[in-house]
Amino acid sequence: MRNLIAFFLRHHVLFLFILLETIALGMLLQSHYYQSSRFANSAINWSGQLLDGLNNSKEYFSLKEVNSFLAEENALLKSRELKRDKSEEIRYDNYQYIAAKVIKNSYNKRNNYLTLNKGTLHGIESGMGVCTKEGVVGIVRDVSKHYATVMSVLNKSTVISTRLNKSNHFGELHWDGKSKDYAQLKSIEKYVSISVGDSLVTNSYSSIFPEGISIGTINRFEREPAANFYSIEVDLSVDYTNVDFVYVIKDAQKLERKKLESQKGD
Amino acid sequence: MTKTLQHTVRFFTLIGLQVLFLNNVQISGYLNPYVYVLFIMLLPPKLSKAGVLVLAFIMGFTIDVFSDSYGIHTAASVLLAYVRPSILSLVSVKGGEDLDAISVKQLKLGRFFTYTGLLCFIHHFTLFFLEAFRLNEFTDTFFRAVVSTIASLLFILILESLRSNSKRR
Repeated sequence: MRNLIAFFLRHHVLFLFILLETIALGMLLQSHYYQSSRFANSAINWSGQLLDGLNNSKEYFSLKEVNSFLAEENALLKSRELKRDKSEEIRYDNYQYIAAKVIKNSYNKRNNYLTLNKGTLHGIESGMGVCTKEGVVGIVRDVSKHYATVMSVLNKSTVISTRLNKSNHFGELHWDGKSKDYAQLKSIEKYVSISVGDSLVTNSYSSIFPEGISIGTINRFEREPAANFYSIEVDLSVDYTNVDFVYVIKDAQKLERKKLESQKGD
Repeated sequence: MTKTLQHTVRFFTLIGLQVLFLNNVQISGYLNPYVYVLFIMLLPPKLSKAGVLVLAFIMGFTIDVFSDSYGIHTAASVLLAYVRPSILSLVSVKGGEDLDAISVKQLKLGRFFTYTGLLCFIHHFTLFFLEAFRLNEFTDTFFRAVVSTIASLLFILILESLRSNSKRR
């Protein structure tokens, strides 16, 4: 017994090192689960408050830009409403949009996140889609009372279900971490005819995004001889260096749909 | 006692610099300087190894909380603290026992540069590797670590020269 204690004492630095690394890697592994830990929630709260304060001081300088942005958006919405009146078509949208402001944004890391100034109090939940007027931004990851973090498209864990606007063939969008302007699309089969400049939009398979939100356009594509699929480079429609206001998309019938879809296995 | 105060002040200054300034400077996708590691590198050489490990853990954890990075800074910082004695014995004969503090003045520029450079690279490489967590992006990760180490070293040397200048006055 004494030898054992002596052994631990002699190597206490190594054991402490292993213990601390285990805690750190534990945090990392836990973050890979979708609904993530308490740690993440409280961390957003602390850092969110700090960032909010910082952001308030910055906000003043961009008032003009924000103003024109809102005016533009207003015009767009008005025109949509007019069109709807004319066609007298009744469309049921299950989707509800919650406007939020980005208080932190990064685009130069391997895994990028945004922080929004709204949280559970405003109806935001983990797993909701986030977009701007230009297109898809990402998916909500952790939520606290007043804040939410968003996994941007520029993140290795983000996968967006997408389809070609003109032909309905669908594929999955990933990001290889190289350039903030381009993401990669695989799993479009080679027999499909595509060309540079074709636009890509979300499809409604995942119930995260409604059908038809812009993602980007095809910038370049290659037919690799050994593979069955194209490797496509997508020019993203959102400029990640300038994301200020976003919409969080809430699908009112998500639960109903999930329930129905999970039944088919029985 | 003043030494302790000095290290405490450095702890908070570097966190502020990292979180409020450097994390928001986005120059290119490959360039992410992390200067907070200077705190761990400059801890007194006579401090116990266990003490350095614990302080590195606290530092890394604080940075993690403010950078949405879930433990990768903690893991890289603790590793940095663990290899610190070995690197220290590379640049000084008695493994740092003969030094009062780690600084350009005590180590001379060349050895200080080797010490901070090696530790910085080990830390940055671990960090970017954990962030990517994929072997097929190895060259990319390596390149990222090299470029960011150079940037961090530049900041570290600027900070060090500011420190030695203010002392002379």
